[in-house]
Amino acid sequence: MVYVKWVFWGTFWVLVAAFFHYTLPQHDIARITDTYEKRVDFGENSIFWSHAAAGDSAATVNRDVFFIQAFRTDDRPMIYRNEDTGWGWPPYFKFDTSNLQAEAADLISKKSATNAQWVVIKHYGWRNEFMSIFPNAISVRAVDGPDVRIIPWLNIVILTLFAALCWGIRARWKKFRRNRIDPLVDDYTDGWG
Amino acid sequence: MLALLRLMVFGFLFLSVIYVALSLYSRSVRSAKLRQQWEDDGRPGERDAFVAAGLKEYDGSVRRKLILLVYIVPIAVMSTIIYLTNFN
Repeated sequence: MVYVKWVFWGTFWVLVAAFFHYTLPQHDIARITDTYEKRVDFGENSIFWSHAAAGDSAATVNRDVFFIQAFRTDDRPMIYRNEDTGWGWPPYFKFDTSNLQAEAADLISKKSATNAQWVVIKHYGWRNEFMSIFPNAISVRAVDGPDVRIIPWLNIVILTLFAALCWGIRARWKKFRRNRIDPLVDDYTDGWG
Repeated sequence: MLALLRLMVFGFLFLSVIYVALSLYSRSVRSAKLRQQWEDDGRPGERDAFVAAGLKEYDGSVRRKLILLVYIVPIAVMSTIIYLTNFN
C-alpha cells in the first residue's frame, strides 16, 4: 500500500511541477536572428498552441503563426512562437502579438555582427521537437550583454504563496483527521488486537 | 469578444461562490464571537437578542464590505497584467 501512496503523490507533484514549469514566465537571454510567419495545421499538438488572435474567427482549422528565431547564450537555437493568449489560459492577457513581432524584428542580430545585440525574451511554455511545440514569447527587451542577472520576482512570489497554501491545507487536513477520523477508526477497530 | 464574455461570466460565477462562502463564514465567526462576548459580559439580557443586535451592527460595518475585495482584487490584478503585457 505504501508504494501506491508514493506513486500517487509522486505523480501528483510531478504534474503540479510540470504545470508551473509550463505556465510561469521564464526569461531567456538570446540573440534574435530572424522573425517569420508560417501556416500551422494544428494536429495532436493543438493544446500547445493558443487560440485564434483576439477578434479573429475561432472556427478555422489552420492559421499563420508568427515565430521568432533566436540563439541563446550557449549558442544553441531556440524558436519561439508569438501568439495572442487573449482572454484565455494562461492569464498573460497578451494582445500585442504584432507589436511584439515588430520589436523582435527590430532587434535582429546575427552571429556576424560586430556588436551583438542581446535581448531578454520573456516566455512561457516548452520547446519539444518531437511534437513540434514552441514556447510563446511574451515580451522582448534589449540588454547590454549576455551576462545580465535576472531575478524572477513574480515566480518567487507565486511559488511562495502556493507553498503557503499547500502547507495550510495539509495542516488543516491533519488536524481534521486527528480530531474527526482517527477516533471513529479507533472506535470501530476497538478490540481487534 | 465571445472569449471576454466567457471569462467574465465564469469569472463572476467563480468569484461569487467565493464571496458567498466567505460572507457566510465571516458571519458565523462574528456570531460565535458575539456569543462569547455575551458570556464574558455576564449574560446581559436575552442571548439571541444580543447576538441579533451585534449582527445588525456587523451588517453595516466596513469589515463586511471588505469582502467585496474578492471581486476588486482579481479585476485590479487583471488590469495590471493587461497594462504590463501590452502597453509597457
